[in-house]
Amino acid sequence: MRLIRLPIFLIVLSFSIAAESQMHSHHHHMASKGGFVMNENFENLPNGCEKISNEEKITVRANKTYAKNIPGTIYGMSDYEWSFEPCSRVEVTFINEDEVRHMWMIHGLPKYLYPAGMFHIEALAGESQSGTFIVPSEDQNYLVHCDMSQHMEMGMRGQIIVGKGSGDLWSVTGITDHLYRSSYLPQYIIFLCFFASLVGYFLLTKLVKKP
Amino acid sequence: MIKRKTILIIAIIGMIASFPPQWYPLALKVQLTSWFGASDYSPLPQSRSSVMRVSEPNCPEDVSGWRNNHIIDGIEILEAPTCVADNPYLIAASVLGTNNISNTTLSRSGLSADAIEKGRDLDGDGDPDEIHIKLEIAELNGSSPISNKPVTTYDIAPGISPGLWVFAPKLAGMSVENFETQVARSSLKIPSPALRVEEGDEVKITLQNTHYMPHTLHLHGADHGFVDDNGEGNDGVPLTSEKPILPGESRTYNLTPRQSGTMFYHCHVQPHVHVQMGLQGLFIIEENKPNNLLQTMNIGAGHVRVPSKSSRDNYDDEYDLHYMDIDKDLSENIQKTNDPRLITKSMHRDYDITDANVDYFTLNGRSFPYTFRESLIAAEMGKKVKLRVVNGGSKGLALHTHGHKFEAIERGGVPLKSSENSPQDVIWIPTSQRYDIELSFINDGKHSYGPGVWLYHDHQNQGVTNDGIGPGGNISAIVYKDYLGENGWPLTNGMNYDQYFSADYYNKNIPIWESIAPSIFSEPSKDNLLILRLILLAFFFGIFLFGITRVVFWKQTS
Repeated sequence: MRLIRLPIFLIVLSFSIAAESQMHSHHHHMASKGGFVMNENFENLPNGCEKISNEEKITVRANKTYAKNIPGTIYGMSDYEWSFEPCSRVEVTFINEDEVRHMWMIHGLPKYLYPAGMFHIEALAGESQSGTFIVPSEDQNYLVHCDMSQHMEMGMRGQIIVGKGSGDLWSVTGITDHLYRSSYLPQYIIFLCFFASLVGYFLLTKLVKKP
Repeated sequence: MIKRKTILIIAIIGMIASFPPQWYPLALKVQLTSWFGASDYSPLPQSRSSVMRVSEPNCPEDVSGWRNNHIIDGIEILEAPTCVADNPYLIAASVLGTNNISNTTLSRSGLSADAIEKGRDLDGDGDPDEIHIKLEIAELNGSSPISNKPVTTYDIAPGISPGLWVFAPKLAGMSVENFETQVARSSLKIPSPALRVEEGDEVKITLQNTHYMPHTLHLHGADHGFVDDNGEGNDGVPLTSEKPILPGESRTYNLTPRQSGTMFYHCHVQPHVHVQMGLQGLFIIEENKPNNLLQTMNIGAGHVRVPSKSSRDNYDDEYDLHYMDIDKDLSENIQKTNDPRLITKSMHRDYDITDANVDYFTLNGRSFPYTFRESLIAAEMGKKVKLRVVNGGSKGLALHTHGHKFEAIERGGVPLKSSENSPQDVIWIPTSQRYDIELSFINDGKHSYGPGVWLYHDHQNQGVTNDGIGPGGNISAIVYKDYLGENGWPLTNGMNYDQYFSADYYNKNIPIWESIAPSIFSEPSKDNLLILRLILLAFFFGIFLFGITRVVFWKQTS
């Protein structure tokens, strides 16, 4: 039942992240000319992790050409879903091949390790940024997205599945359906339906014999 | 078994008895009066008080201290007279350039490290002349496939969030305040930032199209070449100079303006739609003066907290006033679907601007009552302020000041002859026109009638409403020192503003004078007796119909 995913999305939504005024005052913030990485975590283990279980390296490309094959999107990434064992250490290299700014960010991580529950990579146009974080010990799906206005809505929306996960999120580009799907009906649909009902009616009057 | 005729008689008697006497024909009323005199007094329905949801505070507390006078990285930032003020760190970054400030200031500004880069002093007069501005495009109050409410929200007035597009400063980080809300960051707002450069500056403006539709940048009124140094289109006009910048792409425009003045910039792709959606801003070219450190961006226009040299020399304060209007039939198109193909169709082919009318009127991105938080003009006897006004709306603007006659000194970036600038209290500003206005606080019965809280607004009647509900629209005020509270909120003697700070008021749910005369001007209750009579009438009519059908049809069949 896909509706089960809705509460999960809302739970993820409910985790807060820093406001503008505090945005870059975190001591975890590493800035460079090509962008920045916020709340990196190389060695602090999440609760329930005894050690790093796995070393993972992923490369994510942001490029609008990925959107070409997915109708109704404008921006895109090379992948939209990543699966990790609980307690894995993940090094993310985010390569932005567009001529505008993009982000690759996760929400809902434990706040005792990641301020505001957020791990954030931002790469300026044509730049690449790398950052490392450690995934928690529980089975859980996490939202990954670009928080430029409308970029998530226009395609840059993915999910990280830790362990068995906790159910797919909605609107993961090319992987799960939209929660609110637009209507793509022709204007003459009402006549089509009317005609079909007439056909049904007259078919029965011919088929069913009068008593 | 009741007889059929009995049923009919009961029905007719019931209908006559339940028929409301107030609806009797006049002739019958006259006849009854001649027999019995007037009916007994039956009170009209009582007034009932309306239920208003808790309103927002008129003037939210300035928690971050942004209103105060600041000195940041050596730049003095004037105290903001208004209740809500811009981020002073962003202002400092805008004056010095994001490449010339401390890391602390940069991170507090919220700007990207390359948002505003300032280079060499080419004429050796103590200020940088190489200016590189980066702009992005943000959508406010747009739609989402995972939510039925708008995302990256921005309210122009309580409960009013039309879909908008805006040229935005290049920020670092997310577009929303935090992940718990969908409220846009304070620096993501309409109108697009007022840009300030100096005469003779070598200016580059890079438009990074972060939106999902094609756009360009057109410098209306500012001296720029048709093509740039590389021979590529520099006018922003898809018909003549260049193809539109597609989503995810970027283009750099350049200019070295030879004339100063108040100009305008806007998108020139399908401009009848894109300019109206908010892709427009003030473009101000200041006179070339020594040591002229300019506030390159004035976010959302308004009070200029680091004025130019010539402004300091001639005026006590300067304000950028950007007027716009919004057609909700256009702006709601980005809220109905999230498929860019469908949005493109509904905005550019289904929407017909020749049949359109506008619903909201903003000054510096807000409508009343929010204008009182951000766009008051602070006055003090003997002082003089400069207003740079642009009308970016689709309709003309009849700008009127209470209590003052002002002088228009420049029009469209060109000084007016002295014969043309005699004092006036209404000025007609057509679409895209700019006026520089001098407002003098001289208590001579002409320039000023004396201290007070004096409104200034579009005197066309629709301009002072929010979708037809007044007070609203672009109403703001000139407020003298004694009438301006410590927090920047005006000390008024008139209506209590709480109702205006409730979305219920602009949702048309609050009687407009209930707060000053609760019983007299409240909503009347419904007439329950009349409702009861009508239900009975309908009931007996049902019985009557039943009786009739029986009389007619049973006769035939039996």
